[in-house]
Amino acid sequence: MSLLKLEKVTKRFGGLTAVSDFNLDLEKGELVGLIGPNGAGKTTIFNLITNTYMVSEGKISLDGKDVTGMKTDRITAVGIARTFQNIRLFSELSAFDNVRTACHLRLKSSVLSAVFGLPGYRKEETEIEHRTKVLLNTLGLEKYEKDLAGSLPYGLQRKLEIARALATDPKVLLLDEPAAGMNPEETLALGALILRIRKEFNLTVLLIEHDMSLVMSICERIVVLDHGVTIARGLPKEIQNNPEVITAYLGTGDLYA
Amino acid sequence: MIVNKKTKLILTIASVLVFLLLIGLAESFLDPFLRRILNVAGIYVILAVSLNLINGFTGQFSLGHAGFMAIGAYTAALLYMSPALKAMNFFIQPLIWPLSEIQIPFFFALIVGGAVAAVAGFAVGAPCLRVGGDYLAIVTFGFAEIIRVILNNLQGITNGPLGLKGLPTYTNLWWTWGWALFTIYFIKKLVDSSYGRALKSIREDEVAAEAMGINLFKHKTLAFVVGAFFAGIGGGLLGSLLMTIDPNSFNINLTFQIVMIILLGGLGSITGSIVMGVTFAFLMEFLRFVESPMNVFGMVIPGIAGMRMLIFAVILVITVIFFRRGLFGQKEFSWDWFSRTGRRNPE
Repeated sequence: MSLLKLEKVTKRFGGLTAVSDFNLDLEKGELVGLIGPNGAGKTTIFNLITNTYMVSEGKISLDGKDVTGMKTDRITAVGIARTFQNIRLFSELSAFDNVRTACHLRLKSSVLSAVFGLPGYRKEETEIEHRTKVLLNTLGLEKYEKDLAGSLPYGLQRKLEIARALATDPKVLLLDEPAAGMNPEETLALGALILRIRKEFNLTVLLIEHDMSLVMSICERIVVLDHGVTIARGLPKEIQNNPEVITAYLGTGDLYA
Repeated sequence: MIVNKKTKLILTIASVLVFLLLIGLAESFLDPFLRRILNVAGIYVILAVSLNLINGFTGQFSLGHAGFMAIGAYTAALLYMSPALKAMNFFIQPLIWPLSEIQIPFFFALIVGGAVAAVAGFAVGAPCLRVGGDYLAIVTFGFAEIIRVILNNLQGITNGPLGLKGLPTYTNLWWTWGWALFTIYFIKKLVDSSYGRALKSIREDEVAAEAMGINLFKHKTLAFVVGAFFAGIGGGLLGSLLMTIDPNSFNINLTFQIVMIILLGGLGSITGSIVMGVTFAFLMEFLRFVESPMNVFGMVIPGIAGMRMLIFAVILVITVIFFRRGLFGQKEFSWDWFSRTGRRNPE
């Protein structure tokens, strides 16, 4: 059975249909790429999955459970975490606190036991700290834990976003252009990193990315969107040679079209 | 060198003890004028720190503090006044029944006052999930005004515009600074906890906070409920200190004073709120002379009421120019300050 399933998902903004009839089946442990030219509706799909935008039509389910219209923070709690294309870190908080904050949703202690530092809370806080350290180590950010998130270089901010998303303990990870602004070497390392965390944290990954070398090298399947419509889906090799995809990216070449 | 945790705890406990000793000395030996200023200072600290939780740490710009204070002040006063005193106050329309007979000790009256204010805080915090920024400021300001109008018109409960007079003076330095210390402790521990990080994340980026699983409704109302509780306590203390309360004393000017304190001290700095709260209380008294008639180089200037606020406005403008984020920004006092200055100046 598929883990994340989108059925006939449609989103309209007034007269504009940003995403129409989108279907997706993510099997457990898969790494699927979502590509398409600018404005194709890729990020909109992430926003629909996390209910940042409400779906106009269609159904989204996780592990067989309907999560359509569930509140954003609940969706994160049931196991879908995301990163943002236009980095949205808590820039005035340290890198350490950024990750710690994302552990908050699993906290069981009450407000009063947190304020008065009761043993139950102190134990959970120690666990959170430990977990945060592990995550920062995994992403190679341990040196920067005290730095304000906003002061980190771009590439590290992207990694910190991934660490923060992982802190919510997700089943499905939605990565929105994680390689944007990275140079080829960094991108290569990022690819290896994504494969490593998928294995380490038993993740299923949906990846939006413009860097084709990254998408083609790590994704098992690819879905191509253009103007909100799915124009192709298949293995990386099939996508590379698909005439429709090439047209969507490069145009027809016919000046009088 | 960073001062280690155990030393810090000992230093903190020691300084609290010294502080309590000073309070004791002040209470017995200081003249009433200075004692009064210190009492007001303590109340300002309670109000500023609690407003800072909402405005500074959670980033929800509220202008409703005077409303919460009014609720706390009235609730507490109606509970700790003696039935005879209530009968004397309510000569136009008698106070409705159970309230006219009840009298409970000051401490419990304060707690109930704070609790009722907290309920109001929940009622204001809940709709603020829908609005943010300037709109929230307007909604909360509207709330404070509604409270004022209600207090003016509920003759049978609040005595309307006549207010409550001759309140017994329970408030002393032990009460004000005792509560101030508790407020500081509670809110400092709260903002340093996992819940506090969630509040700060809402201030930083609401969309990202929600995407990280932070329940916006729960945490925003948490900030409002805790902030309103301590505002209610502050209001109750103020009523008993001034010995008289009326609806119009809890107007927008009072909120602006508190907002000014937290802006000057730094949004998101408890230390700033404390320092500026105390400074503000002293300045309010010592700048009184500018409102009396003056003779400057042979020119006679008549006393102008409100000149003090003009001076505060100038101070605020200057602070905003030179310390854009208030005197302390988001920094907090720490014992490391001493060790760090020690390292910089080794002699």
